[in-house]
Amino acid sequence: MSQGWLPVFTLATSLLVAPLILLLPERAGRARAVVNLAAAVLKLLLVALLVLGFYQGRDYTFGFTVVEGVSFLLQVDALGLMFAGLSSLLWLATTVYAIGYLEDSPNRKRFFGFFSLCVASTVGIALAGNLFTFLLFYELLTLSTYPLVVHRGHDKALAAGKVYLRYTLTGGLVLLLGVVALHALVGDVAFGQRERLADLGPEAHPMLSVLFLVLLLGLGVKAALVPLHGWLPRAMVAPAPVSALLHAVAVVKAGAFGIVRLVYDVYGISLVHELGLLTLLSVVATVTILYGSVKALSQQELKPRLAYSTVSQVSYIVLGISLFGPFGTIAGLVHLMHQGLMKVTLFYCAGNYAEELGIHRIEDLDGAGRRMPLTSMAFTVGALGMIGLPPIAGFITKWYLGMGAVQAGMPWVIGVIATSSLLNAAYFLPILHRLWFRQGRGRWPEERRLGRYETSAWLLLPTAATALFSILVGLLAGVPFSPLDLATFMATKEYLP
Amino acid sequence: MSLLLALAPLWPLLVMLNAGLRLALALSRSGPRRGRPRLELLDAVWLSAPLPALLLALWPGELALSMQSWMLGGVWQLDAMRRPWLLFAALLWLLAGGYARGYLADERRRARAGEGTARRRLTAFALLWPLTLAGNLLLILAEDIPSFYLGFVTMTLAAYGLVVHAGGREARLGGFSYLVLALVGEGLILMGLLWSAGSAEALTLSGLRTAIAEAEQGLWMATLLWLGFGVKAGVVGLHVWLPLAHPVAPTPASAVLSGVMVKAGVLGWLSTLPLGVVEAGLAPLGGWITGAGLAGAFVAAVLGVCQRHPKAVLAYSSVSQLGMLASLVGVGLSEPSLWPALLAPVTLFAGHHGMTKGALFFGVGVSEHPPRLPAWLIWPLLALPALSLSGALASGLIAKSFMKEVLYESAHAWLLTWLSLAAVGSTLLMARALWRQWRGRGEPCMAWYAPMPLAWLSAVLAAAAVPLWLPFGEAGIPWPAPGDLLGLVWPALVGLTLAGLLLWVAQAGSGRRPAAPRWPAGDLWWGYAAAAGWAAAGLARAQAALESRGQRLRARLVEVEHRVIDWLDGLAHAERGFIHFAVPLAVGVTALLLLGLWLG
Repeated sequence: MSQGWLPVFTLATSLLVAPLILLLPERAGRARAVVNLAAAVLKLLLVALLVLGFYQGRDYTFGFTVVEGVSFLLQVDALGLMFAGLSSLLWLATTVYAIGYLEDSPNRKRFFGFFSLCVASTVGIALAGNLFTFLLFYELLTLSTYPLVVHRGHDKALAAGKVYLRYTLTGGLVLLLGVVALHALVGDVAFGQRERLADLGPEAHPMLSVLFLVLLLGLGVKAALVPLHGWLPRAMVAPAPVSALLHAVAVVKAGAFGIVRLVYDVYGISLVHELGLLTLLSVVATVTILYGSVKALSQQELKPRLAYSTVSQVSYIVLGISLFGPFGTIAGLVHLMHQGLMKVTLFYCAGNYAEELGIHRIEDLDGAGRRMPLTSMAFTVGALGMIGLPPIAGFITKWYLGMGAVQAGMPWVIGVIATSSLLNAAYFLPILHRLWFRQGRGRWPEERRLGRYETSAWLLLPTAATALFSILVGLLAGVPFSPLDLATFMATKEYLP
Repeated sequence: MSLLLALAPLWPLLVMLNAGLRLALALSRSGPRRGRPRLELLDAVWLSAPLPALLLALWPGELALSMQSWMLGGVWQLDAMRRPWLLFAALLWLLAGGYARGYLADERRRARAGEGTARRRLTAFALLWPLTLAGNLLLILAEDIPSFYLGFVTMTLAAYGLVVHAGGREARLGGFSYLVLALVGEGLILMGLLWSAGSAEALTLSGLRTAIAEAEQGLWMATLLWLGFGVKAGVVGLHVWLPLAHPVAPTPASAVLSGVMVKAGVLGWLSTLPLGVVEAGLAPLGGWITGAGLAGAFVAAVLGVCQRHPKAVLAYSSVSQLGMLASLVGVGLSEPSLWPALLAPVTLFAGHHGMTKGALFFGVGVSEHPPRLPAWLIWPLLALPALSLSGALASGLIAKSFMKEVLYESAHAWLLTWLSLAAVGSTLLMARALWRQWRGRGEPCMAWYAPMPLAWLSAVLAAAAVPLWLPFGEAGIPWPAPGDLLGLVWPALVGLTLAGLLLWVAQAGSGRRPAAPRWPAGDLWWGYAAAAGWAAAGLARAQAALESRGQRLRARLVEVEHRVIDWLDGLAHAERGFIHFAVPLAVGVTALLLLGLWLG
């Protein structure tokens, strides 16, 4: 039983920190920082402990029955660990970043309180062992991110928050419908018990197809699949660390993670393949990838461009899932990690430009590479990685997507990948050109000298660290415990027959 | 000694890092009081960037290095096929580095004096030059596909910074055309690599070649790769960036661009296409490659003669020469049995053209700022690589006779006639380039042992002697018999005669009309640009139409909404009417009910 408490502790570190932070007075900035950082470090350690134990074959399961037939279940598997690892790593980085970013701004207590709740929900999503538990944390995530989106409190933020809530709550409702219907059909199914649905036999297939679509619709809102993506660009009004977390690991990624769970752990990839739904999934992903890229091209401000880029990039995960075979699976799983690292870097950079120089529009970035070389280098790494150039993480994803496409007998997907790479290049390279090759105008929109270096060290360190990680996971993809190694392990050992 | 193998591409990166760190330190130390730092970026360490690669190329024996944890599994190796490419690439980079030190002397001086623009440009050059080099070396040494692609991409993107070095409108245009076409090429290469590697789950280039030979859609994969690498190798139609980028790039960058980097495209073909594999069945594609190569050779000669800028003429000459090279590669697909014998002459041709074109580009700078040497020495030395390129002398002559030797007895002997005719065009181009250099010559202004003339002299000598030092393994290079000489040099003679005639006609007719028709550098680029403009305008129109339709739809929806609201308003109005009657109505209904009850 003592083993089962470890996932609960992991969850509790951020869940219990939230009320603690809300109890601390607004002025106690230092105490708050200490509590936040300590919790983040503690959680990273606990996740590391879980990973270690998992590789030694220990079983961590915690559960109790809520009402007859519905149980709360936390369990640890490779996929959940990967997501929990990503979220705790980026939580630490983003906490450091947010402390620097929100220095001297009002309502920090509220911000950090809900920030912790938001991370607690992502960990809950990662460790959830069945659809009920997943749904619980999924909804908690919606509610805890709303105060973060509207943090600034001005009209635009409130309007965006309204749109955000409308989208996500409706999505949650649809998801609830699907979960209940599935429960009515087969009862309480823990993730990984794929045979329960497969055993229903062919006569249940039409019903299962309909339920899959309902669940996909519910998850697709957070995963920002076109045409359910409308909330994402509007939510850009949130402060930079929130956008970073929202795009890299929390909301959008929770949706994508949910789709991964749905396909691999609830239905099982073989059943989805049998139902003929993978083609639909790849078409949806293709449309989203291309549409997001084209929309990104037409954005004149940095954060909206990154937002549409997220719309496009997250669908790589869905595209990878839809390619039946080990390589497609690896691509989808590994991009879960890779996209998070690269996108969080890009958003940190956007935040740095905005905080230090007051830059929001792309045309104001001229010559910023000389003023802020480290930030710009990190941005370059993130952007080139998004295009999919080696040796950065994005290349590994693209490689496996391409291999998976051929393996699944869908070589046309390679055309999609190449087109998307070119579109990515078309909207990222002009930014890099402005950063490095254009001459600055001599003055910035709103320059503040935040630190001894190009900007405050609190902002600079997480940026550099995630950029470095983005390179390392690509350059050293062959090392044990790299995301690629984990994804390969999952794809070959767990998900494919 | 596989450490040396790893060091060859890494050393330039370390050099770049060193320059960057020194720069950062100097900037952080310089306060407003102490003044600007006096920092020499192009120092001895910087110049040493290609040295480990040169050492590696001269190292005896084959080397291989495999790294499990490097990306998807790294395999770098140095074998008999790669050695000559590495050797001439490293040598030309070394000489070009020395040349750059002299070429940028003025900029270095201004940078030391504290001029911002010069400092910025010099910094970019000092950092991107070794990065481009590192990419170039890596793509030669890599055997695993990801490393190869990494090298290719690094070289391509970093070289953009070298092309736009000068700044200004023309440099931006050159850089833009370079980048757009390079990206199109990258896209095609990525598709070709992923598709063919995926079909056999191959990770190495040799596995890739097998995969293409065995795959059902091998023809399409090979076509993608041909066109993708063809952007670098100047396949006609995709060549337009060369004449736009070369004239604006700094001369040492043009030299490595034309000498080595475009060869990366050819090396890409050799590494990925299943040349010499009989079962591949790619003969039709081979025919296309040969045809496109010859077409490029002739078209570029015609267009190049109409250019005024000597570097543009040289760029067109590169397109022409690469076309000849491509036609030989095509033979390797259409007649696979010939390829094993053809590889050596193709390599020699590539090495000869690389070094010679490097020497010619160096010569452009030298004729503008000649060293204090007698003219009777300088101009023959400037003409030597030109004559060599037209196949009349030195390495060009040997390369041509080698090709002739291999092709003469084969079914592709007809190709020799066409190549000879193309050589007439090359001679004309060379004459044109030299003539433009003569017209733009400057006054002697530097010692012969200054970096620029020294690098140029070394390049001229090395280029002339390429067959002597380029390693070919066991089989040596056959020397042409004296009796065959006339058969080899006639194109150059015809070309020279034609050039003389043209010059005479031009002199006689001067004053009445321009000596040569002017044709903008970049030829088809302007067509592409116009087409892209039309397409963009069309798209914008379509979008506007869609938007107006959407607006109409929205307007209709709004109208419907209004109507519904009006109706609801009507209801509300009616409801308000009810209020007046509510009490009597209720009372009436109650009364009726009571009446009913009483009666019932």
